[in-house]
Amino acid sequence: MAGGVSGYAAISTRVRAMYSYLFTPQDMIRLSDSPDFMSLVGALKTSPYGKYLTGLKDNELTPRRVILQIKNRLADSYSSVVQQSPEQTRPLIKQMFRYYEVGNLKAVLRSIQTVAPWNSEIAAWDRVREVLFPLGSTASIPAQAMVESGSVASAVDLLHGTPYEATMSFAMKRFSAEQNLFPLEVALDLDYWRRLWSEAKKLSGKDREMGVKIIGSLLDMNNLMWVIRYKIYHKLSEEELINYTLPFGFRVKDEDVRAIAAGSDIAATVSRVYPGIPDVNALLEHPQSGLPKLEQQLKRQVMRQCVAAFIGDPFHIGIPLAYLILSDFEIQDLTVLIEAKSSGVSEEEYRGLLLKTKMIQ
Amino acid sequence: MFFPREMTELELIVPSKDLMAVVKVLSGHSVFHQVDSAHLGVENLGPSGWQDRAGAYSAMERRVQTLVQNLGLPEEYPAKADAESIADLDVVRQSLDRIEDEVKGTSDQLSADKKRLELLESQLRQLEPISEVNVEVSALRQSAYMHSILGVIPAANIGRLQTSLSRVLHVFFTLRDDPQKPVVWLLGPKSNSDILERAAKSAYLNPLALPDEFSGTPEQITVLLKQEIEATKKRISDLESSLAKMASAHKTELQQLLWDTHISRIMADAIVRFGQLRHTYVVVGWVPTAHLVELTEKLKNASNEILIESIPTTRSGHASHIPVALFNNKWLKPIQMLVGTYGHPSYSELDPTLLMAFTFPLLYGAMFGDLGQGLVMALAGFLMHKRIFMKGMQSLGLLLVYCGLSAALFGFLYGSIFGFEGHLVEEYLHFHFEPTWMSPLHNILGILSIAIDAGIVILTIGFLLGMFNSLRSRDWAHLLFGHSGVAAFLFYLCFLALLGGFLGDTAIAPKVAVAIGNLPLPFTTLAGVFALFVMFGGFFRNMVEGHTLIEGKGIGGFMMFLVTSFMDLFESVISMLSNTLSFVRVGAFAVAHGGLSLAIFSLAGEEPNIGFWITILLGNIFIIGFEGLIVGIQTMRLHYYEILGKFFHGGGLQFEPLKLNPSREEA
Repeated sequence: MAGGVSGYAAISTRVRAMYSYLFTPQDMIRLSDSPDFMSLVGALKTSPYGKYLTGLKDNELTPRRVILQIKNRLADSYSSVVQQSPEQTRPLIKQMFRYYEVGNLKAVLRSIQTVAPWNSEIAAWDRVREVLFPLGSTASIPAQAMVESGSVASAVDLLHGTPYEATMSFAMKRFSAEQNLFPLEVALDLDYWRRLWSEAKKLSGKDREMGVKIIGSLLDMNNLMWVIRYKIYHKLSEEELINYTLPFGFRVKDEDVRAIAAGSDIAATVSRVYPGIPDVNALLEHPQSGLPKLEQQLKRQVMRQCVAAFIGDPFHIGIPLAYLILSDFEIQDLTVLIEAKSSGVSEEEYRGLLLKTKMIQ
Repeated sequence: MFFPREMTELELIVPSKDLMAVVKVLSGHSVFHQVDSAHLGVENLGPSGWQDRAGAYSAMERRVQTLVQNLGLPEEYPAKADAESIADLDVVRQSLDRIEDEVKGTSDQLSADKKRLELLESQLRQLEPISEVNVEVSALRQSAYMHSILGVIPAANIGRLQTSLSRVLHVFFTLRDDPQKPVVWLLGPKSNSDILERAAKSAYLNPLALPDEFSGTPEQITVLLKQEIEATKKRISDLESSLAKMASAHKTELQQLLWDTHISRIMADAIVRFGQLRHTYVVVGWVPTAHLVELTEKLKNASNEILIESIPTTRSGHASHIPVALFNNKWLKPIQMLVGTYGHPSYSELDPTLLMAFTFPLLYGAMFGDLGQGLVMALAGFLMHKRIFMKGMQSLGLLLVYCGLSAALFGFLYGSIFGFEGHLVEEYLHFHFEPTWMSPLHNILGILSIAIDAGIVILTIGFLLGMFNSLRSRDWAHLLFGHSGVAAFLFYLCFLALLGGFLGDTAIAPKVAVAIGNLPLPFTTLAGVFALFVMFGGFFRNMVEGHTLIEGKGIGGFMMFLVTSFMDLFESVISMLSNTLSFVRVGAFAVAHGGLSLAIFSLAGEEPNIGFWITILLGNIFIIGFEGLIVGIQTMRLHYYEILGKFFHGGGLQFEPLKLNPSREEA
């Protein structure tokens, strides 16, 4: 087995080097101080994201295009980590990367479902492609053909032979009856996280311990947000809430999810599981503004977990996984900054949406 | 033969009373290419009614076709069909209504039974997963106290579904434990049916669609379904026999109706595109000059008062509006098809069919030279042409005959028969067979050099034909400074002279290039001069045509002009070199053919036993099929990329005469 010191010596060194290129909170403040969108892009051009932006002409410097370009760095990071990680851990990392393809698949289906007949030309592939994650040759779904197929049913037919075929074949029965993408998206999410959890559980020793901890932390966040959102916004029944969530995680236990589904006090459950999150009650009083803030807090918990992975024994899969998650969060922060600067939103309004603040070093 | 058929423009003024007779002449002889002249008519005359009639005939024709299809009859016209006159809509409608009424009942019943058969077969498939389960399906459906859901569910969701119902009274069975699609059965009190339904739905449990009309266990229902399927199949068969009898009874009448509606639709469509005046119609179109006198006479016979004006055309200048009719020579059909794939000749340019009829088999044969294999290929082509073998490939039959005969001729020159060459012929076939020209395998550099020489000759012919085309169409700018004009050709000759000088007396040096290089001319200086003409070809063409000399203004525009001019020259040099060297493949394939045969012999061994001959036979089949195809593709590539581009532009308007029965003419 290529685990332990021999398996992780190279990747651990490489990932630590890549980790040092992530923005510090001070860097984020400097970027946040950019007066406008073009200055922000100028600052990004001198950062590790520069090589992804230099090829853009002035007329291509739109917020959407810049966001697309910087996502390429994350795709490259995944590619680099997959190549260098020990053989037995690659299925986990590849499945983790599939998160972006699931996102692309949802975006493609939404573009088909939401297009108005009179607006069909604008909603064609050219409009969709800029919001898709740049998966390159690793993509398994024929996104363009799906968009051009014109109907959700035809698009789903094109998923034949992909990892999503079986899941979608079950969910399509409900879509046909309800003409709503909700059951398709939930089925995709559940399938993705089940597979990811199963891959983490297949590992052994320290890899399994760290994999379950980090993937479990992400799952905790999602499971908790799902059950709260479905309950508050969608008013789903107890049985539906349980069926639309997953029975595993790191800190959030199935009993917690079932308790919320059964009608227990959400704030009390969240505070018990995450004692470090302040004022949960206040956040849930106004769900419209409070839930995004709660999600931010949960993401920060995941970030802490990821930062902690770099301390101590360096020879395990936790470090590459943590780096990839932190990279993703950094892209999320930059997306907030780019959109805020391009639309002239003040710093007070967007500061709370940034994940990397001084409190996380 | 070298140019498309000469065309004459025809303008007719037809009295209204003679309209049908004239239309019949125009559409009955397949020589008149109609031009839409409706705009020449008087607009305020109001609707002529022909538009509606054309629509009605078209709808009627579709109804007949549907009827013919429903009765399983082929879409054929009567054996002795003639276009007497346009059909009376009411008469056709009455006949159609009568036959439709008779056929409709049986036809509708047949399609209903076919649908039922599909439904029954689908229900059978649905029951298949639970065929071994001993449960009364109808009892579940009609239960007064229980709510039951029987269906398939993603295996991963089973645990979660059970958890979600942990506080609800229910019973859950996994009837078939399948890792992909397990079949499960969820039961609970009727009072909890909404909870059960919600839970099942959110767990993606898809209920099976069980047949309502049957009762019993799945096994019993399966038996009943199979019996019902058999009975339905029998009914379908009976109905099909009834329809066959009706088809036989109405065949002649339907063929006549199909013909009547078809010709009426064609004639009405043609009339719609006539210009309508108060008492006359204006008709404009094109006719091959060779048929002008004959058509004119027939038109005058059809109408005493018709006015005919014929306008001859010239091949010079702009002629893109003139339809192009090629000479119909059945022996050249496959070559015409190859040319057509590249482009349809325009009216003023040379039709390359004849040239290609010579060069295509020549190059093919040179690459695939083998007496035996060539004759086999020619025989296969002949059988295909006669529809004895591979009927679907009939159109390629003659091409294979030409290529096969050419390959056989080159096989005679190369001394190759079924892959046997030199001493192998005497050793295994026991007769003497020497190359009458050369063996490519033993003179590799020589054959490559000859191939390049042949390419130079063919390209030179291409250049000359290109100049000829420009001269005929009086396109002086392209004649002098075009990509295959005089300047480019002279530059090519200088290029060849320099190439010949460079390769000198090496074995691969093309002799034509060396001969040109030996002429007492200052080729280096001339190359420089003609290079300038090629480089600034666009500038000179603009000058001759009186356009703006340099597009774009200021220093930026001038710099861009210099850059594009240089790139033009660079591209010309590269394409001359690549076009010329491209013909090396002709020699290379001749050598490869010998090499492939040698490979077959090394597989076969030396002993002429049964295994040896089987290997040789299979090897020859492989070479004919595989190498034959590759050489075909290479020959086509040489023509499309290197030869035709020099003088052939295509883009001509195809001659599409009015025809009453296209399928019959084409056949």
